[in-house]
Amino acid sequence: MVKEAVSGSSRETSIKKRRKNPSTENDSETDVYKKVISFEEKESKRSADTDAKLYCDLCKSIRTALAEIFELKSQKPPDASAKIMEKSMQAASCIVTLKKLNRLEKVRSTSAREALNLEKQKVDSTNLQYQNLMYEAAHLFSEFKKCKQFKSKDEDIELVSIEEFLSEAPEEKTKPFRNLKLEEMDDIQKHELHLARLEWELTQRKKLSELCNTFEDEKKQVAAEIVKSKNRLGGLAPRLAIVLESTKPLQEYLGLPIEKTYAEHKLASLLPNPLYLFYANADAYKKVYDIDLNLEILGDQDEAIQWRQQGAHPVQVDESDPENDQQEVEENVEIKKRRHRKASHIDRQEERKKRLLEAHPLSIQVTVRVKDGPTLKIQFSYRTVLNIITVMSDVVYPSNITGNVAKEVIGGESMLGELFEGDFGIDSPNPSNPYQLKKIDVNSYNSLVSKLGYAYSWAQRVCGLDFLIQQSSKAAAALSSTNVEIVMKVLTKRLKSRTALANQLQQLEQNLIPAAIEVDLPRNSVSSLTKWTSITYQDFCKSPSTTDLVLNELISPSDLFYSATIFRPKTATLNTLVAIKNDYPNQAPIFSLIVKYNGEFHSGNCDEVRDMERAVNVGWDYGANSASWLLSAQLQYLCSYFDVYLETTAPSVFPQNSVFFKNICARNRRRPFKFRKVGSGIFTQF
Amino acid sequence: MVGFPFFHLYRLMNPDSNLLKHDFSPKNTFTVQEDIQINSLLTTEHNLLVGVVGEIYGYDWSVVTSNKDAKVSWKIELPNNRDVFEKAEINCMVIDNKSELLYAGCGDNNVYVINIETAKIVRTLSGHTDYVHSVFNVGNDLASGGEDGVVNIWDLRNKDVTNKIEPYKNDDIARPELGKWIGAVCINDDWLLCGGGPKLSLWHYRSLTPSTIFPIEDQGIHVAEVLDDKVLAGGRAEHFYSMVFNGNVISKIPTSCVTVYTAVHQETPYKALCIAGSSPRIDICSNFNYKDQVLSLL
Repeated sequence: MVKEAVSGSSRETSIKKRRKNPSTENDSETDVYKKVISFEEKESKRSADTDAKLYCDLCKSIRTALAEIFELKSQKPPDASAKIMEKSMQAASCIVTLKKLNRLEKVRSTSAREALNLEKQKVDSTNLQYQNLMYEAAHLFSEFKKCKQFKSKDEDIELVSIEEFLSEAPEEKTKPFRNLKLEEMDDIQKHELHLARLEWELTQRKKLSELCNTFEDEKKQVAAEIVKSKNRLGGLAPRLAIVLESTKPLQEYLGLPIEKTYAEHKLASLLPNPLYLFYANADAYKKVYDIDLNLEILGDQDEAIQWRQQGAHPVQVDESDPENDQQEVEENVEIKKRRHRKASHIDRQEERKKRLLEAHPLSIQVTVRVKDGPTLKIQFSYRTVLNIITVMSDVVYPSNITGNVAKEVIGGESMLGELFEGDFGIDSPNPSNPYQLKKIDVNSYNSLVSKLGYAYSWAQRVCGLDFLIQQSSKAAAALSSTNVEIVMKVLTKRLKSRTALANQLQQLEQNLIPAAIEVDLPRNSVSSLTKWTSITYQDFCKSPSTTDLVLNELISPSDLFYSATIFRPKTATLNTLVAIKNDYPNQAPIFSLIVKYNGEFHSGNCDEVRDMERAVNVGWDYGANSASWLLSAQLQYLCSYFDVYLETTAPSVFPQNSVFFKNICARNRRRPFKFRKVGSGIFTQF
Repeated sequence: MVGFPFFHLYRLMNPDSNLLKHDFSPKNTFTVQEDIQINSLLTTEHNLLVGVVGEIYGYDWSVVTSNKDAKVSWKIELPNNRDVFEKAEINCMVIDNKSELLYAGCGDNNVYVINIETAKIVRTLSGHTDYVHSVFNVGNDLASGGEDGVVNIWDLRNKDVTNKIEPYKNDDIARPELGKWIGAVCINDDWLLCGGGPKLSLWHYRSLTPSTIFPIEDQGIHVAEVLDDKVLAGGRAEHFYSMVFNGNVISKIPTSCVTVYTAVHQETPYKALCIAGSSPRIDICSNFNYKDQVLSLL
C-alpha cells in the first residue's frame, strides 16, 4: 500500500508538474493554473454518478489487479515479474484516475459549497427584504386605520337631501350626477356628489345669512318707526282730552249722553265677568225692546281698578289647617285664661268670614218701572269667593199705594221670590258654598240673606253662572243671553201683576171689591166684604179648613196670606182664608172657606162648602192678563156663591135674591154654584 | 166629575203580592164629558153605563179599560132634553138581568124603564113630586126614594104606584133640620130599608110599618143596603156602618170622604167592599169590618 501511495503521490506531482508546466512555459504560471482550474471545473461538471460508477469500476479493477499480482506472486509463474509490473502499472493508473476523481470530487464539493453559500446569502437577503416589506405593510395598515378614523367637519353639517339637491341646485353642479343612481355610484362619484352638495350648502347658507342680515336691519328700522309712532300717539292723548274737554259744553247744550255712556262703558269693563255678561246682555235687551229699564253701575272705579290689578288671586281663602283651629279651640276651652288667644282666634275667624263673603266693589243696579206702579231697584253683587250673585231689592212706592197690605205685596221679599218655581234665593245655588260656609261656622246661606242678599237661581243664570253639578262654573255667554230676556220679561210681568194686585188689595183694605169689567160677573150680591187683613202662614195653617191644602202642599210658606170676612145680614158670615201664590195670576189665589151659620162648616165637614170652594178656586185660566182683576172677580163670585148657599140652605131665613131654577139637584144635593150670563145672570148646577 | 179612573182591584186585594205605588194609581182614565157631574154608574156583563145629565152613555168594557179616549158605544137620551136648563140628571140606575130592563131614577121626578137591547124607554113611572134619589128592584117590585121624602113602591105589572111610605111624617124617624128627602132605598122579600134626611129605618115590607130605627150618627143617608142578615149604611158621617136588623152596630169603618155616595161589594171571586164619596179617595175593605186600602186619584 505504501508503494501505491507513493506511486500515487508521484503521479500527482507529475500532474502538478504537468499542470504547472504550461504556465511556466507560457511565462505565466497563473495562466496555467487558471487553465487547470477551469479545466477541472469543466471536468467537475460531469455527472457525479458516472464518476461514482467509474470509481467503483476503478476500485474493482485495482482489486483485481492486486489480486492478480498476489496470485502471480504466490504462484511465481515464469514471467511473473513482467506481468506483475504490468499489473502494478495498471493498478497505478487506476489509482491516478482515482486521484483524479478525488480531486474532481473535491472541486465539486467546493463548488457545491460555494453555490450553497451563495444561495444562503440570497435567502437571507430575500428574508430581510420580506421583513422590510411586512413592516412597511403594517405601518401602512395603521396609517389606513388612522385615515379611516379621521372625522371630517362636513359630517356634522346637515345637508339637504339628495333629491332636493338635484332638483334645486344649479344645472352645472348637478349635471354629473343626474343620471346616476346612488347605489351604482363608486366612491369617487359619491365623494364628488358630497362635495357638490357641500358646496351648494355653502352657497345657500351664505345667501340665507345675507337675507337674515337684511331682515334684521328691517326689523330695526320698523322698531324705530314704532317707537316714533308711539311717541306721536302718546302726544295725541292729551290733545284729544283737550278736544273732548272743549266739546263738553256743546254736548251739554245738545243734551247728548256721550260722555256718560263712555264712562259707563269704561266702568263696565271693570266689572267682574259674570256681572259684565249680565250688563252687556241686559243693555242689549234694553236697546232692542226699548223698555223702561235702567242699568247703572254702582261702586268706586278706583277700587275696581285696584281689584283688577290685584289680579286673579283674590280667591285665596285662608286655607290654614282646620285641624289646627280645632286644636286651638280645644285649648281655648281648657285654658280659658288665655283670653287674648281666643280673641285673636275670633279675629281671624272674622277676617276669614269677611274675606269669604267679600263682594266685588262694583255692582249693577237695575231699575224697572211700571206705569202707575212702583219702581223696583235690583242690585246685583258678585261674591267673588263664593262665586255667586246676590240680589238686593228696593221698591219705591208710587203715590197711589198707601195701604199696608198693598205695600207688603210689592215691597217685601215676595216681589222677587219664586220668580221661577221653587226659587226663593235663600239657599246658595253653588254646591261648594255650604262647605265654604261651614269653615266660617255658618250653617246655611239662609242666615246670611239679610246681610248679603238673596241668591236667586235666575240671578245666577242671567250672569252666566250655571251650577249644575257636572258643569264648570265658568261664565257662559250663551247661558246668560238666553236667560236675560226671559228673566227680564218675567221680572216685568211680575212687577205688573204685583202692581195690579197691590191696587186691588188697596181697595180691598177699604172693604171695597174692585169692579172687574173684563169678565161676566154676578152683580147685586147681598153679602159683602167686611174685613180684609193679611195673616201669616201659621195663622193660615191653624184653620180647620186648610188641612187638606197644607197636606197636599198646594200652598207654601212663601205665599201671601189674607183673611177676608164676608157677611150677609143678619147672621151669616163667611170667613175666607186666601193664599196668593207668588206667580199670581198664573195660579189663581186659593180660597179656603168657613161658613158660620148654624154651626161652622168647611170643606172637611160639608160638601156644599166644598163645592163652593171648588167653584171659586177652579177654572181661572185667563193667564197673565187677568192680573188686574182676578182676585176681585173671585171675591165677587164668592159673595154671590155665599148668597146662593144661604138661600138654598135656609130659604125661609134668606129670601131669594139670586136667580136659580133648582135649589138642589142630584144625589149629592148639589147647589147651583155655576154662574151663567143669561139675562142678569142665573145660577145652575151643571 | 169628568175623570174616569180604573183600578186593578185584584192586585190590591191579594195580600201576597207586593203593592207598588203603581198599583194605587188608575189603570186608565178617560173623560166622559167636560165639566159635568157623573151622577150614576152601572156595570153589566159587557157594558159600563154612565148616567150624567140628560143622557146615559154606554161603553164597552174592553174599550174603557184600555183606551185613553174611549168612545161611547151607545147613548140613551131622556125626553125633554133640548133645553140645557131642563136636562134631568140620572141619579140612580139598576138593572134587572132577567128581563134586561134598566130602571133609571131621574131628576125630572120620573123613573124610566129602559130596554137595554133597543136602548129605548119602554115605560115611565111618574109619581114623585121632586127628583128621584134612589131606585131598587126585586122581581116585579120596584122601590124609589125621592127628594120629596116619599118612598114609592111599584108593582111593575100595574100602572100606578102600589104603595108609598113617607118616613118624614114619622116623628121618631124625621129629622126636619136635614130635610125630608130619601137618599137611599132597598127592599127584599120581607123588609124595606130607607134613609136620607130622615133617619135610617127598617120597615116591614108587607105591613109597611117601621120596625127598627138605626141609632147611627149621620147627617143624611145616601147608601143603604140589606145584605143577607146585615144592613150596610153610609152617608154624611164619619163611618160606614154595618149592622144587624135589630139595630146593633157590627162594625164602623172610618171613611176618607165627608159623604159616602156609593158602596159596592162582591163575594166572588174574593170579598171586597169599595166605599166612595165626596173625596178623591176610595176606601177598600176585604172583610167589611175595617179599612184595608185607600185608593187615591190625586
